Amino acid sequence: MSRFFTTGSDSESESSLSGEELVTKPVGGNYGKQPLLLSEDEEDTKRVVRSAKDKRFEELTNLIRTIRNAMKIRDVTKCLEEFELLGKAYGKAKSIVDKEGVPRFYIRILADLEDYLNELWEDKEGKKKMNKNNAKALSTLRQKIRKYNRDFESHITNYKQNPEQSADEDAEKNEEDSEGSSDGDEDGVSAAAFLKKKSEAPSGESRKFLKKMEDEDEDSEDSEEDEEWDTGSTSSDSDSEEEEGKQTVLASRFLKKAPATEEDKKAAEKKREDKAKKKHDRKSKRLDEEEEDNEGGEWERVRGGVPLVKEKPKMFAKGTEITHAVVIKKLNEILQARGKKGTDRASQIELLQLLVQIASENNLGEGVAIKIKFNIIASLYDYNPNLATYMKPEMWQKCLDCINELMDILFANPNIFVGENILEESENLHNVDQPLRVRGCILTLVERMDEEFTKIMQNTDPHSQEYVEHLKDEAQVCAIIERVQHYLEEKGTTEEICRVYLRRILHTYYKFDYKAHQRQLTLPEGSSKSDQDQAENEGEDSALLMERLCKYIYAKDRTDRIRTCAILCHIYHHALHSRWYQARDLMLMSHLQDNIQHADPPVQILYNRTMVQLGICAFRQGLTKDAHNALLDIQSSGRAKELLGQGLLLRSLQERNQEQEKVERRRQVPFHLHINLELLECVYLVSAMLLEIPYMAAHESDARRRMISKQFHHQLRVGERQPLLGPPESMREHVVAASKAMKMGDWKTCHSFIINEKMNGKVWDLFPEADKVRTMLVRKIQEESLRTYLFTYSSVYDSISMETLSDMFELDLPTVHSIISKMIINEELMASLDQPTQTVVMHRTEPTAQQNLALQLAEKLGSLVENNERVFDHKQVSDSLLTTSAPVARPLNNL
Amino acid sequence: MASRKEGTGPATASSTSASGAAGKGKGKGGAGDSAVKQVQIDGLVVLKIIKHYQEEGQGTEVVQGVLLGLVVEDRLEITNCFPFPQHTEDDADFDEVQYQMEMMRSLRHVNIDHLHVGWYQSTYYGSFVTRALLDSQFSYQHAIEESVVLIYDPIKTAQGSLSLKAYRLTPKLMEVCKEKDFSPEALKKGSITFEHMFEEVPIVIKNSHLINVLMWELEKKSAVADKHELLSLASSNHLGKTLQLLMDRVDEMSQDIVKYNTYMRNTSKQQQQKHQYQQRRQQENMQRQSRGEPPLPEEDLSKLFKPPQPPARMDSLLIAGQINTYCQNIKEFTAQNLGKLFMAQALQEYNS
Repeated sequence: MSRFFTTGSDSESESSLSGEELVTKPVGGNYGKQPLLLSEDEEDTKRVVRSAKDKRFEELTNLIRTIRNAMKIRDVTKCLEEFELLGKAYGKAKSIVDKEGVPRFYIRILADLEDYLNELWEDKEGKKKMNKNNAKALSTLRQKIRKYNRDFESHITNYKQNPEQSADEDAEKNEEDSEGSSDGDEDGVSAAAFLKKKSEAPSGESRKFLKKMEDEDEDSEDSEEDEEWDTGSTSSDSDSEEEEGKQTVLASRFLKKAPATEEDKKAAEKKREDKAKKKHDRKSKRLDEEEEDNEGGEWERVRGGVPLVKEKPKMFAKGTEITHAVVIKKLNEILQARGKKGTDRASQIELLQLLVQIASENNLGEGVAIKIKFNIIASLYDYNPNLATYMKPEMWQKCLDCINELMDILFANPNIFVGENILEESENLHNVDQPLRVRGCILTLVERMDEEFTKIMQNTDPHSQEYVEHLKDEAQVCAIIERVQHYLEEKGTTEEICRVYLRRILHTYYKFDYKAHQRQLTLPEGSSKSDQDQAENEGEDSALLMERLCKYIYAKDRTDRIRTCAILCHIYHHALHSRWYQARDLMLMSHLQDNIQHADPPVQILYNRTMVQLGICAFRQGLTKDAHNALLDIQSSGRAKELLGQGLLLRSLQERNQEQEKVERRRQVPFHLHINLELLECVYLVSAMLLEIPYMAAHESDARRRMISKQFHHQLRVGERQPLLGPPESMREHVVAASKAMKMGDWKTCHSFIINEKMNGKVWDLFPEADKVRTMLVRKIQEESLRTYLFTYSSVYDSISMETLSDMFELDLPTVHSIISKMIINEELMASLDQPTQTVVMHRTEPTAQQNLALQLAEKLGSLVENNERVFDHKQVSDSLLTTSAPVARPLNNL
Repeated sequence: MASRKEGTGPATASSTSASGAAGKGKGKGGAGDSAVKQVQIDGLVVLKIIKHYQEEGQGTEVVQGVLLGLVVEDRLEITNCFPFPQHTEDDADFDEVQYQMEMMRSLRHVNIDHLHVGWYQSTYYGSFVTRALLDSQFSYQHAIEESVVLIYDPIKTAQGSLSLKAYRLTPKLMEVCKEKDFSPEALKKGSITFEHMFEEVPIVIKNSHLINVLMWELEKKSAVADKHELLSLASSNHLGKTLQLLMDRVDEMSQDIVKYNTYMRNTSKQQQQKHQYQQRRQQENMQRQSRGEPPLPEEDLSKLFKPPQPPARMDSLLIAGQINTYCQNIKEFTAQNLGKLFMAQALQEYNS
């Protein structure tokens, strides 16, 4: 024993691991088995007596088993506990023992335990290694057992002298028992099996025996542990099977079993089910009352070892009569296991699917089918206990199919009522005369499905083929949502309709409607198209769809969140389709900007996305100022990626813990909804350039000028810091180079920097109407360059002809005229227009650089003097204070 | 720059003071009046300084070097100089003291005056009144009483007239610096104002007779002296730059004053609190007395009310000094320019 234990920590830990499992599992299993034994032997006349004896002995054997396990792992504390329990149990069984004599196994354990303890006691080295609790327990237990064994002295000596014989006796006895039960060797014989094993032990010397047991355990566990424990079929019968295999040395059986476990789970299940089937075939021949009893037994078993549940549906497959009640009952039984620890979720789903098949085979009607389907979908969702993980593709497919089937049934049977608020009791699943009523909410299922879809998309690498494959499911998801929408439009409450509409909107708002776009383009030419044609296309036009859905939500929704989301999506959709004014008006009217910071993060992300889209839309329309304002908040933080939910920043990784990161990850927007960040930044920088450069030129020497865009200035500074300026590479460099050119009023260079092959590829081609945007941009650059030129160089000119200007900037004369007039009116340019000669006459009232400096200096000196005077005032005040306080201070000194 | 100066100043000084005992003996020793009344610079030194700047200095970067010479009565004769090598980041372990010693030893071998009499520095638009300069000049003057700092202004020089000025710290400032106490009170006591920080020592540039002869000869040979920088009318750039710098200093000054203001306010507030506390204590004591109890023990008021740290006033003094220099510069410059403009006007009228 000691030799074994000191061999190595590896095997020790292993055995302790398996030991733990052995400790917990069999106990539960045996408790569960107990009543089954009863029911099977009920024909026996001596039933009561026997069962009482059995019950007591069973209890004892269980305890003994636990003690042996504890011994194996040297858990003396556990031994002590169990020993005390054993003593009590023995006390209870006293009456039987009196009748039958002291059971051998009881004597054996006492003897073994004593030997074992003595051994431990002598093993000084091992004792040292023991932890405090164990050492303490060891000494108490040793004393206790000595005292206790004094009563059994004669028995023990008897046993020690002739261990084999007594063991054989016992085994025989037990074998008889097990033969009595029909095929109980699997179920009810753990005690017998256990004892039999001992009888196999070649020598009665307990030490050797224990060692052997260890070895056997080791072997079998080594080979089986992985498959056996992990497949989740850690049922009690497999336990006993194992032991049986061990003790009878039925290698063949063992071998037969091994390949089975190596096969995938399903195969194993099937085998088991087959076995179960046979058993149930036999059982089903029995009487009805017996079935009742049986069910009681079943119920117990569910509690003990859940995997047994899977044997159940078959029970009814060949059952005499399958009624609604029975199926429902079964369903409930299966559902009870749901959510419990150790429940095999995969098998549960399978069970439910079998059940649905049975139900349909037996023509139980749609009500039951729907009921079960609901539960299948629910358990599909439950399959992953973790929120972060996503469904496997096959599961997902199953889920989609299932929902589709469910929808088919619902559409085919308009007389079925489905609702969350229908109580279990008031369900009507089979009474065909009345409308069928089923509890369950199709909308929730669909919403959950949609979330699962998002999760799948979030967890797929967006640049892989896999993502594309998953994305193809989007159509299916949309179709389902549409079907649910149709269904609910007929039957649902307004609240439900709002919810399903929102789902629909969420799947629509980000998609650019190319068909409608094309139609719009062709419309001016084919304006003769009849209204009928228009009406035909209406169904496809997402704008109208959005309009309809959103308006319904605006009118009917009572929860604020759905309405907010709907508005934001609506704005986004408008902006995406360049309906700037509608989008802007909706944004302003909704007053979302005021209170969006109180919304939850996903809505805030949606809001950010909407604002960005709005800004890009404004840019496309040539409204640089609006574009800049809309994008300012997002861009100035430098966290656009995070704010749009398109990725986590590495920078803040340290600031958040694992949990937060998980939450944030869940918020990410799937890749196909992303807004191109480079496009966003480029749009922002270009609009900032168009605003800032003329402004900078106008306020060159103004000390109090403010930056319009900090980020743009930052980029400019970065550009300036470069020691060597090569041709621009990145988008930012292009914009910086263009800004520099614009500063000089050189619009042609500016133009070539902003619009060229590289920038087209990177940015401009991403717009739906790229050419339109480009022409707009060129014009903007020309105008702003003209303004910059006038600001920068007006001091050089006495007068300048507008024609020259219009030639320089390739703008037509009226435009130049209007720009200059505007500048004069805004008092940006001190000049007047000379109409007959078409020239601009400068007034030269602007101060020169030196004058400006002098003015600034004067201002600064003014403030300096002011400050200085304040110091002086202070001095006077404190002086006066000191003088007044002096007389007060004097008497104090006297005291 | 400051650290470099501070680090090397005393070391070099101590090394030279031993060898230059003879030169030092002639000095008046006592503080009282300034030890040096006049600085006489060799033409060679001027040219070397100009050359040094042109080779190494650019923009706002300044160049520095060591002056060598003799003290004759109350006249400081600077007969030679050598530059400090320019520093880069990677040769941080460069030993300056060693370099200076080596340099002086080498010069001594070729029979050149090797007595350390000060240092020179170039400047950018006259912005030299800094803490760094003050510190290093202090350490120089502390070790070698007669030492001066020569300020070379390359920009003014480029405009046509050589600008080279010799400065020394006033004895008053020396006193204050020795105390290392720049609190308002100390400065008040030392009666230091920005005008009395530096004293300018008149400079005479002296050449040997041989060189003078050469000059005469050269002057005759060259047809027209290239002096037209002096007549340049372009003034805005220089003026603008100076104004900008002046403005920066004014800003700093403002900030400093605000700081001082806060300090004043805090002190007076605390004074009040202290006063209130004392009064309260007094009342309580009176009550106790009437009840026949012993008065409360006196507490250390300075512990209870720690006076706020007074801001160092040296910086503001320096800034004021710098502003003063700028103003002088501007005044000078504008006066000259006005003259030029009038001349140009007259010329134009005459021509047309």
